[in-house]
Amino acid sequence: MTAVAEFVNEPLLELRRPEVRAAALQALAALDAQLPLEVPLLIGPELVRGEAFASVDPSRPDRVVAWAHAASAEHVDAAVTRATEGQREWSSRTAEDRAATLRRAADLLRGRRLELAALAVRECGKPWPEADGDVCEAIDFLEYYAAGALELHRGRSLIQLPGERNTMRYVPRGVTGVIAPWNFPLAIAAGMTSAALAVGNAVVLKPAEQAPACAKAVVDALHAAGVPHDALSLLPGGDEAGKALVADPRIHTIVFTGSCAAGLSILERAAKVDPGQFHIKKVVAEMGGKNVVIVDADADLDEVVPALLSSAFGFAGQKCSAASRVLVHQAVADALTDRLAGAVRTLRVGPAEDFATDVPAVIDAAAQMRVRRYAAQGAASATRVAAASEALPPGEGFYVAPTLICGLPDEHPVIQDEIFGPVLALQAVPDMAAACASVEASRFALTGGLFSRSPKTVAEVAARTPVGNLYVNREITGAMVGRQPFGGGRLSGTGPKAGGPDYLLQFVEARAVCENTVRHGLVV
Amino acid sequence: MDADTTHDLEPAVKTIGARLADAMPGARHTPRAAVERRVMGAMVADPELRAAVFRFVDVRPACADPADLARHLGELLAEAQDSPLARRGAALAGGALTRRPLAHAAAAGVRQMAQRFIIGADARAALPGVEKLWRSGAATTIDLLGEATVTEEEADSYAARCEAALLVLHEASQRWDRRPLLEADGAGPIPRVNLSVKVSALTPLLRALAPERGIAGAEPRLRRLLRVARDTGAHLHVDMESFDTREAITELTLRLLGEPEFADGPSAGIVLQAYLTESPEHLDRLLDWAREHPRAHPLTIRLVKGAYWDHETVEAVQHGWPSPVFSERRACDRNFEALSRRIIDARGIRAAIASHNLRSIAHAAAYADARGRDVEFQVLRGLGDDTLAALLAAGRRTRCYAPVGDLVAGMAYLVRRLLENTSNDSFLRAQAEGVDLTTLLEAP
Repeated sequence: MTAVAEFVNEPLLELRRPEVRAAALQALAALDAQLPLEVPLLIGPELVRGEAFASVDPSRPDRVVAWAHAASAEHVDAAVTRATEGQREWSSRTAEDRAATLRRAADLLRGRRLELAALAVRECGKPWPEADGDVCEAIDFLEYYAAGALELHRGRSLIQLPGERNTMRYVPRGVTGVIAPWNFPLAIAAGMTSAALAVGNAVVLKPAEQAPACAKAVVDALHAAGVPHDALSLLPGGDEAGKALVADPRIHTIVFTGSCAAGLSILERAAKVDPGQFHIKKVVAEMGGKNVVIVDADADLDEVVPALLSSAFGFAGQKCSAASRVLVHQAVADALTDRLAGAVRTLRVGPAEDFATDVPAVIDAAAQMRVRRYAAQGAASATRVAAASEALPPGEGFYVAPTLICGLPDEHPVIQDEIFGPVLALQAVPDMAAACASVEASRFALTGGLFSRSPKTVAEVAARTPVGNLYVNREITGAMVGRQPFGGGRLSGTGPKAGGPDYLLQFVEARAVCENTVRHGLVV
Repeated sequence: MDADTTHDLEPAVKTIGARLADAMPGARHTPRAAVERRVMGAMVADPELRAAVFRFVDVRPACADPADLARHLGELLAEAQDSPLARRGAALAGGALTRRPLAHAAAAGVRQMAQRFIIGADARAALPGVEKLWRSGAATTIDLLGEATVTEEEADSYAARCEAALLVLHEASQRWDRRPLLEADGAGPIPRVNLSVKVSALTPLLRALAPERGIAGAEPRLRRLLRVARDTGAHLHVDMESFDTREAITELTLRLLGEPEFADGPSAGIVLQAYLTESPEHLDRLLDWAREHPRAHPLTIRLVKGAYWDHETVEAVQHGWPSPVFSERRACDRNFEALSRRIIDARGIRAAIASHNLRSIAHAAAYADARGRDVEFQVLRGLGDDTLAALLAAGRRTRCYAPVGDLVAGMAYLVRRLLENTSNDSFLRAQAEGVDLTTLLEAP
């Protein structure tokens, strides 16, 4: 039995070795030969078909990666009915049994590393290192929550006085609705689902419309590992399915990762108690950010520039943790702007499967339009703009040139809104206090970065910043399970942190029992 | 070579090693080196102080003025709470009367240390140092330090500095006295001017996952430098860097040198890092290439231990990869010796053994002597000064790797060398701590 203390992250593929890259491309070719995949609804043991919709390759939208079947409100109802049954069986299993099941699922994913990374490359336009990271993180979540559930099952010690025996145990809250995003199509779906499952809840998973095939791969592994079909349903689809899932009175917990607007509307709906509903729904929401990297005058710009490139433009800026603003001390603002602008010009935009690509396509046409609109709006008011100098690849891919926009006023939408694309806004500040004040004025508080070589500045900014994850003198993306528990405050989410020691507590209720041990005045 | 023959080598290794040790000037002749050695000693014994000093050296060029310098120094020393020496320093750095003088002294100390490692701010400023070395019997290779290259403009400017350095050195070298040992070996003439270049500075496009991009990016600039080197009769040496860039650097260098355009020159070389566990296979590739591409000037292979040990180890551990470098010092030293023998034996190759490890040097010297082969030794300016003096006294062909650049540019280099010099596995550290000669010369 592995304890949380012995948890080790799944090793990433060593893609810097040519033979590993060749194997990855081979896996991609093998996947391509199978496309398009089919993603039916998985409700209990049944494969159900509904209205089909296409999940396409963002680099080449004419390539259909999967035909998925959209869940209706009726499908949601049927799945939750199944889950209510499944909850009974799954929660009656021992914690050890459930942990072993999740670990078997992790093993199954491990056995399909390249194939799954290839799927994320195709379905979500994730470049290889990020796609592989996604697979590894999915495996990590399964292992970490399996270990965490065992630890939780052992309970916590309470104060014991003579004449009473106090115990507390954790029980599953009940059927959990999981609404997953497309940007970590394997990892976040696996993480949210496995956390709920690990402590004995049945799950109904509604993946993002753009990533049904990745979600199915996760669900298939969990089923194959022994999670009963009733305890885990898969409902591809859009808004209708998501809304119905949130509204169902038999749902106890809703776990969501996505936009702020969607998260807030879930919180609002979930707060309403329907007739016959005898519980309060709990919502665990991760809702994005507007992440700022602060660069002090004593920063090493040799380190700052590459870290900003990867934080802002890796996976086209489509990570909740991605950098979207830089606040740089005015003493080094010109130097950093020159170097960063020159570096942005070297970035290559291209298909996700090409190892030479720096910035892939964004997820869909709507995202492409949104990002282009912001970039144009920013450029109109900027003091300086720099974008990738090579032409965008030909074809219909959802490409956007990575862009650096300098000198915008604080109230500008490019400074205020979450763009979720490869746009980075740079502003100069007179000192670190002004930088901190600007961060504090944000609605969001997810990740942040600081480049400084002054221990005092590092301590002061760390103490003052509201962000959930502060990264000092490094890139601000790439949180690792168990090492950098991930999640923010304010409108970035409800907490607690995914991949951290407190996450599973959201999926359980504690039951305390106090037994009187006195008989006839004697403590026995 | 089999085990018996290497065993037979041991008496010669010991003799040569002992003679070199005897010929080292040691601390008594260079008071400043003695002070530095004491500082290094204090740092070795006090890891927290060591961290504070490194961080100070690292941030020193980014400090705007003396007050800023004093602030950083005070904060960094205050962090080293378990170090009495650092605590005393922190108190001084906090004192109203003492902070300025202390900051000045610290800044001057760093500058002085940097000056010992760096031969001049630019190629012209480096000339007196280079010529002094030549007169003392040592060749040089110049390495232009600079900020990391993240833009095309920075790559252009580095290439332009390299070209200017080649021209400046070429012109000056016409006036140098003849040094037969440094100007020819059994394979023919050896250029007086020798420049080491970094591919990572020649392009902002080096990508670990796409070596072709870095190759394409650096190719025009390296080609131009090769032409200038050829036309001025200089040697161009391509340095090796982190493991992530090895493929691009090797492929680019061999591809260009294999072109008919460069068949008659310039003299050129590449680096083999003995700390890489795959270095024997990498040497196979280099030797195969050399056999298939006869050139007027034999390819020089500079054998080094490798300077990115911490980086490679951290990278591997954080990603869950097997480390590409030897974790055990003796295994690494054994590999260094095995590679030395292969390079010294190889036909159509010039062997350059770059080491401060007396045992590794003595081994290569003894082996080359036994086989009747040429070999060149290389040491780092600042770190290897004593070794250089001993090698010169022994009449060995020796080249000094001499970095050129301003203080800002030199800091990353300085930090790396300091780390190396005070690390647990450092030969120089062992030597400075007075480990006896027999132990130092033991076969690894």
